[in-house]
Amino acid sequence: MSERGGDSEHREEPTGEPAAGQPTVEPTDPLEPWPETVRWQPVSPDLVKVEAVRLGIGVLVLVVGLGLGLAFTGHWFFGVVLGAVVLLTAWRLTVIVRAVRAWGYAERDHDLLVRHGLLVRRLSIVPYARMQFVDVTAGPLERAFDLATVQLHTAAAASDARVPGLRPAEASRLRDRLTALGEDRAEGL
Amino acid sequence: MTPEDVAEPRQRLHPLSPLLHGAKSLVVIVAALSWSTLSRVGLGFFTLLVAVLLVGALALSVVSWYNTGYHVVGRELRIHEGLLWRRTRAIPLERLQSVEVVRPLLAQLSGLAELRLEVVGGGKTEAPLAYVTVADAVALRERLLTLAGRAPAAAPETLGAAPATGPVPPGQVGGPVPGQPGVPGLPGLAAPPAGRDLHAVSNRDLLVSQLLTPQAFLLPFGVAFVLVQFFTEGSWSFIAVASTLTAMAGVVLQPIRRVLDDWSFRLARDESALRVRHGLLETRAQTVPLDRLQAIGVTWPLLWRMKGWLRMRLSVAGLASGELDDRSHPDRLLPVGDLATAQMIMSEVLPGVAITGTLTPPPARARWVHPLARTALGAGLSARVFAVRSGLLTRELLVVPYARIQSVRVVQGPLQRRLRLATVYADTAGGPGAAARDRDLHEAWALAAELTARARAARVSGPR
Repeated sequence: MSERGGDSEHREEPTGEPAAGQPTVEPTDPLEPWPETVRWQPVSPDLVKVEAVRLGIGVLVLVVGLGLGLAFTGHWFFGVVLGAVVLLTAWRLTVIVRAVRAWGYAERDHDLLVRHGLLVRRLSIVPYARMQFVDVTAGPLERAFDLATVQLHTAAAASDARVPGLRPAEASRLRDRLTALGEDRAEGL
Repeated sequence: MTPEDVAEPRQRLHPLSPLLHGAKSLVVIVAALSWSTLSRVGLGFFTLLVAVLLVGALALSVVSWYNTGYHVVGRELRIHEGLLWRRTRAIPLERLQSVEVVRPLLAQLSGLAELRLEVVGGGKTEAPLAYVTVADAVALRERLLTLAGRAPAAAPETLGAAPATGPVPPGQVGGPVPGQPGVPGLPGLAAPPAGRDLHAVSNRDLLVSQLLTPQAFLLPFGVAFVLVQFFTEGSWSFIAVASTLTAMAGVVLQPIRRVLDDWSFRLARDESALRVRHGLLETRAQTVPLDRLQAIGVTWPLLWRMKGWLRMRLSVAGLASGELDDRSHPDRLLPVGDLATAQMIMSEVLPGVAITGTLTPPPARARWVHPLARTALGAGLSARVFAVRSGLLTRELLVVPYARIQSVRVVQGPLQRRLRLATVYADTAGGPGAAARDRDLHEAWALAAELTARARAARVSGPR
């Protein structure tokens, strides 16, 4: 709370910043629009572990199946596929690390920014005033690593404001802040 | 989990709830096992199977009941669910659109009730509390509505979804939010459209316009093809011809239905609502409150261009739009008309918005993504609306008032990244949002920022 209160002067006039279609500062990185007005919060690096375990479970089933196939038939085909699966998994692991780093959220004065995605990059800007309700979810795997997911729902089905990989305390704080701000700025539709 | 939990103890649902849920699953279990299983395994084993599954379902219900709780924290309702996959849903009470006490048959037998809380936007009831005692349900409903702090009548009434459409729960206590005035949007009220007449579509134009659809246009060719086949080749049996014609009838049905639905289409408006009346076999009168209007779409079908015709539709937000049957949901603004008419209607609905406003196409390098349609794409910001255009053959314009934008998204796919393009979406409730496709990246960011700022400004200044 305290560190967020300190930088409020940086986020004074974020929404009106690039005035009339003329961005004052050229956004340098596609993932970093308006770098001078937005402070992105990363999600917990533990999300890497959650995603990795999730991937691992899927791969394990596949590998066991292929391994059994290899053991019983001894056909080279199973070996090739097994190797491919292992290679793909290794590549996927590196992607997971980068994908988790790509997740980020920022609380501005009037809206929540969420960005994610590597291949398809997405940025959502959801005004607090449009919030209908907030979900905090935590599956067994997430709870094992002490994480939770916060999702903001608006009246539009297409709105996409989900922040995974938050510590439960941070998730509660974000939830409370979102609902509090949403109440202040009522309306919703 | 949170410090506020001490504020009010979490309440469980009624202890009989798992029993009721279990009884519900009994029906599902029997249906899933089906008669064929019964005849195969015999009655005794079948009963055993059902009993085992039922006990399992009951156990799950008990676990779920044990882990479900709700409480009011400050000005929000929190609902906790799940043992393994835990979910806490926080609903600010201001956002509740309606709180219904519903009593399905089983609940009625056991003196319980289900509390349905609806927020806008979701297609289904977002937060059912099943089951609590009737007294608790009524008390909680009163409390929630009081805490919500506004006269229940101020709750935006829903379009058409109003009092308990669909399977009407027997013995509904209390019903939806009391004092819903007027129930706008309920079809079938044959009252003549009151207010100022705006426009009446001539039936001749409607017929001609539907003849100018691909289906009607290609019909003679299809019939000729069948006849030629029938007479020249002996291999075509009567059955084959009949089935071909049936298939064709299915295709032709859409224009015919449009003609029937939009016959003697009349549009009127009074202070705050549009009144639409149309239909040949079944006259529909619909009321669209203007402040529920989310977006307006204008479509120029290819074949209509020779006549200079277009079609207008609107999307409105109602709660639980999924429950509405498609045809009673108001969506037509103008089944067919020329540009001047469309402009006149547009000015009535959204004053100061020009249909032929200037829209800028995406940059030239977007032709790698849209080799032909690049110039057909366009996006533009005007004083009150965000307008996007798309479609090479069937040109479409979508107009979204800033005040109706729910959220803004910028999405960039891999190909777009190479070309330094991005797509900007303005999401609205109910219906598709506006998408400005393949804008220059810098422009996309500026557009997103501008849309956010303007949506906020429109929101703050209040909806009209």
